[in-house]
Amino acid sequence: MPDETTAVATPPHLQLVNVWKRFGEAPKQTVAVRNVDLSIEPGAFVTLIGPSGCGKSTLFSMISGLLPPDSDGSLLLNGKVQQDGALLGKIAFMPQRDLLFPWRTVLDNATLALEVEGMPRRRARAKAEALFPEFGLGGFEQHYPHQLSGGMRQRVALMRTFLFERDLILLDEPFGALDALTRSMMQRWLLDIWAKHRRTVLFITHDIDEAIFLGDKVVVMTARPGTIKCEEAITLPRPRDLGVVTTPEFMAVKKKLLAVVEEESLKTFAAASP
Amino acid sequence: MNARALARSPVASVVYVAAAWLVLVPLFKVQPRYLPPLPVVLADGLSVWPDLVAGFWRTLVETVLGFLAGVVLGVGFGIAFSASRIMERAFLPIFVALQTVPVIAFGAIVVIWFGNTIMAKVVIALYLAFFPIAVNTLRGLELADPQRIALMKSFGASHLQLFLKLALPTALPNILIGMKLAVALSLAGAIVGEWFGDTVGLGVMLLQALYFEQIPRVWVLIIACGAMGTLLYGALVLLERRFVWWRTD
Repeated sequence: MPDETTAVATPPHLQLVNVWKRFGEAPKQTVAVRNVDLSIEPGAFVTLIGPSGCGKSTLFSMISGLLPPDSDGSLLLNGKVQQDGALLGKIAFMPQRDLLFPWRTVLDNATLALEVEGMPRRRARAKAEALFPEFGLGGFEQHYPHQLSGGMRQRVALMRTFLFERDLILLDEPFGALDALTRSMMQRWLLDIWAKHRRTVLFITHDIDEAIFLGDKVVVMTARPGTIKCEEAITLPRPRDLGVVTTPEFMAVKKKLLAVVEEESLKTFAAASP
Repeated sequence: MNARALARSPVASVVYVAAAWLVLVPLFKVQPRYLPPLPVVLADGLSVWPDLVAGFWRTLVETVLGFLAGVVLGVGFGIAFSASRIMERAFLPIFVALQTVPVIAFGAIVVIWFGNTIMAKVVIALYLAFFPIAVNTLRGLELADPQRIALMKSFGASHLQLFLKLALPTALPNILIGMKLAVALSLAGAIVGEWFGDTVGLGVMLLQALYFEQIPRVWVLIIACGAMGTLLYGALVLLERRFVWWRTD
């Protein structure tokens, strides 16, 4: 029996096959995303970078089930094809803005997804309370979002995403609005959390350093219409600390990726100024 | 509360107005026909104290019942409008048209329907209170952030959960705005309702005072109505501060 299960290769956690998204009808059609093929292994931390307006967010909306991909491509979760809307409720999605509910305490914001799932309030709260120290929010359970700093609000949003216990987490530039110091602290903290909980993460960013520092694999998207330009495996040893960003290996990867991203950014720029 | 805060409180402004009335009327020898001296008004109020209390109480009951019915109907229609375009297209224009009908004309019909009962006053108060609440509820429900809706959907939220956990709390500050507008209108509605015939109520007393040209009595009733309006408005402000303190961002 065990032989049989090991004989079958585990399918990728998430697989995108020829995913397109077009808006409107020809000839006025806009192609937001074209021909995206991507696979993410279970437990991997994949980062995605690309010039602004390259269709990253459209791609994320499709992966989280909010937007159906065009019918010529498909999305597979654990090897199974997902119909339109079937992904809703299957993936933990954290958008760019923290989107906390101002009328809920920090604790009740954290348990929002659990409540939606129908978990009794008492159990949901107990579960969330256990995570507060780990997320650096101990003692802030009964505060309201407007009483917190930007970094803390972002951690509450992350906790809400983590408590929605799905094996795949989508993070859309979660640290984009934070100052450099807070951001670098949050990055190391996120790696700790990830190492402990071992979920699969797909992380969007426009910061090359962040992409390399966090990822097992960096995926670069082209200018609009967005598709995958290249993938780069990052073999830097884990756990990674701040010092890693000055190592020759890091520099080499960064140089390579910078050239690719620069090329795509120039295209976007040229397209915007005819 | 220190002296400075006390000097700026709403209670203080009532004292200022009273003091100005007390001093300025004799000072400028204002004719009683235009503005009677404050002691005369107060004495007149005391002389009809039992009637005044009974009238205040009756008008308060009419106003509050009409207002509450207006809240229920207004919030209900606001929700129905936001849920269904067809409902909004079908009913909102009718309600707008109804708003332009003078309350006196509408009041006459209501009295024919319900007679000189308390019900008639409640219905007229409701008629005036309902519209601002419905419109503000609709507006508030439309403010729900699309990104928050997307987030809730990604959690697998149902329509009911979206409504209860997101749309309704988002709309509450606006619903409160509608309620604050409506409470003053329901008081006006109750008073106009009483003009069509009754024996107890501030509106009845007002009509009698006007008929017999009892100027101090008119001022007594103005103060009584003002006090009631302030009381009701103040209750809503307290409610808002305690339970609906967030602003929709």
